Amino acid sequence: MSANRVAVISSTQTELRGNWSGAQHIDLIAAVVTDVFKGAGLTLDDVDFVFDSGSDVLDGRSISNCGFLGAMGAHHKEESRIEEDGLWAALYGVTKIASGAANVGLIIAYSKPSESDTSLFYSSQVEPFYQRPVGFDHRAASGIQAQRYMADHGVGEKQLAGLVSRRWAAAAAGRKVPVEAVPSESDVLSSQSVARPLTKLMMSRPTDGAVAILLGSEEIARRTTRTPVWITGMGMSGDRHSFATRKAGALEACEAAAKSAFKRAGWSKPTAAIAETSASSAATELMVLESIGLAKAGRAIGLLDDDKIAVNKSGGSLPADPIMATGLVRLAEASRQLAYPAEYGLKSPTTAIAHGAGGVGMQTHCVFTLEV
Amino acid sequence: MLSIPDTYPIDLKPFPSDLSMPYTLTPGRAAGTFLAEIGNKRIVGSKFKNSGTVAVPAQDFCPKSGDSEFDLVEAPSTGVLTAFTETDAGLIGLIRIDGADFDFPHQIVGASYGDLKIGDRVEAVWGDGAGDSILAIKGFALAPKAPVGKIKLLENPAKQLEVVPYRMDLHYEHAFGPYYGRLFDEIKTNRRIMGVRTSNGEGALLPPRELDDITHKKTGTWVEVKQTGTVRACSVIHLQFIGQKQPPPYVYAEIILDGALTRLIHNISGIDMSRAKELVKPGTRVRAVWRDSEPTGSLADISHFEVIDGEAEGR
Repeated sequence: MSANRVAVISSTQTELRGNWSGAQHIDLIAAVVTDVFKGAGLTLDDVDFVFDSGSDVLDGRSISNCGFLGAMGAHHKEESRIEEDGLWAALYGVTKIASGAANVGLIIAYSKPSESDTSLFYSSQVEPFYQRPVGFDHRAASGIQAQRYMADHGVGEKQLAGLVSRRWAAAAAGRKVPVEAVPSESDVLSSQSVARPLTKLMMSRPTDGAVAILLGSEEIARRTTRTPVWITGMGMSGDRHSFATRKAGALEACEAAAKSAFKRAGWSKPTAAIAETSASSAATELMVLESIGLAKAGRAIGLLDDDKIAVNKSGGSLPADPIMATGLVRLAEASRQLAYPAEYGLKSPTTAIAHGAGGVGMQTHCVFTLEV
Repeated sequence: MLSIPDTYPIDLKPFPSDLSMPYTLTPGRAAGTFLAEIGNKRIVGSKFKNSGTVAVPAQDFCPKSGDSEFDLVEAPSTGVLTAFTETDAGLIGLIRIDGADFDFPHQIVGASYGDLKIGDRVEAVWGDGAGDSILAIKGFALAPKAPVGKIKLLENPAKQLEVVPYRMDLHYEHAFGPYYGRLFDEIKTNRRIMGVRTSNGEGALLPPRELDDITHKKTGTWVEVKQTGTVRACSVIHLQFIGQKQPPPYVYAEIILDGALTRLIHNISGIDMSRAKELVKPGTRVRAVWRDSEPTGSLADISHFEVIDGEAEGR
């Protein structure tokens, strides 16, 4: 039995800001859920299900989606909350449409890390007997990942700083992330040390924002959208919870997720024209690109000057990491770049990869392949 | 991009909120025995029967194979530093105890970041007091000459710790946004309760919001709802529970204020509590009683609702 084809019909996001101090979650969600239908040729009445992603711990209330149902347009609809990055909500939605159980799905992810303390959010995910008491957390994991990666491959702090600066410049050019001043390499190097060798600017910056995507079956997509972006492969994988017992210097779960997605898509190798990836730090961004197979081990820094593949043209997650929504933003960005390449200065791309991750030290990974 | 302004003339500061969650964690056999023995300065690990792999500190499952059959072992206090970083929590290293197959994180003490390199020999530094936490080990110090220790069977293991009392405190600063902002500002400065009309204009939603939940259409104009209303559901609370704002007994009620379509949750007081069940029922008419104290801009500015004598709505 072959599955039905599923496409991204439309997508939208709020600006990703360090602080949306004048808006609640419901305000951000209402904005994207209203906007995603504009020009889509569909209304909320056509939506068969609403799948959403967010974190109770970040939101500061239990089962927080229950308070957001009205804003999400989920009144009396099938609604399901995925306590993972929004890319997993999209995976769930694609599966549902591919199986023939639904035709139109609304996928929403949102985040307001400005309302809480992200270090507490991550440390709440750490094992409480052995790890939390000694101060091991997401930052320590990120520092250790960076140290090993840099030592294994001779990548220096200056190169990481260069990557960060380029990503912020891309985000500023994309105009979806307000950037007052693009940090220079030396700004990155001289910013506060967070988890040596990583400085504050080498870590992804938590931002507030919301994103919504409409998924549709082939029939719906052909009727409604000028350029359906087909989701041709998906894969997900989770590594061991205990960071210290994972394979040192590697993101094995990312490799597994990518392999699974490529196999589904029938890709013999990862030859995407566009890649939008998530990362907790500049070092893990390089590790992700290598784990996906876009560069050999230790060589991802070379992709910065490679014009064959557009990597994180949106800026990626370093300048804007709306935790729990970051991966879904990658799907929105990658599908827009495929559908409207001229807007992004791209020449007829036909393939893209979107990647999301979650957990302390990027425990879980999800990879999508997209084609037009 | 956002269809609402993100600044508003009424700029209430974000609302501070703390979640303080008490837990009784159950460590299980492996971690429970580790925690029971750490005060005796014995480091407990698990040796998995099928694979022979050793995890230190002790685990109930082999991180590699998932094997759950294991013997408890006593591990040496020496090992190797396999990775390290420095955060505001201090120097954090991954340690591989001699004879173990997996790393674990702990503090590195008595050294600075620049002194460390991968592969350094380290040894546990014990804290002054005993204790039943992994912090009975203060951290690991560089010990270049420490002899390589051996794993041996744990003799006469102490009874495992059954429960670890724990508390997690999370702090939030919630933004009000334009709708809740106006609602709570009006409560604070004018003692008025403001809703917004539904998309069909037939009544007010409280709390106010940008979109009507049911139709997902834009809500209408602001409207002041009355400070009188009708109880739609209620319960006399006798139980004590964590997070409770007032001592029981009290009446918890869902009240529809006159002019509103939605229920407001508040308390009913000023009655003979021994007769609460007969005095407060669905249909009972009530009126808001404001607190005399300094207004806070929250629903707590309404002290409670009182029963309006002689006015009861048929159901």
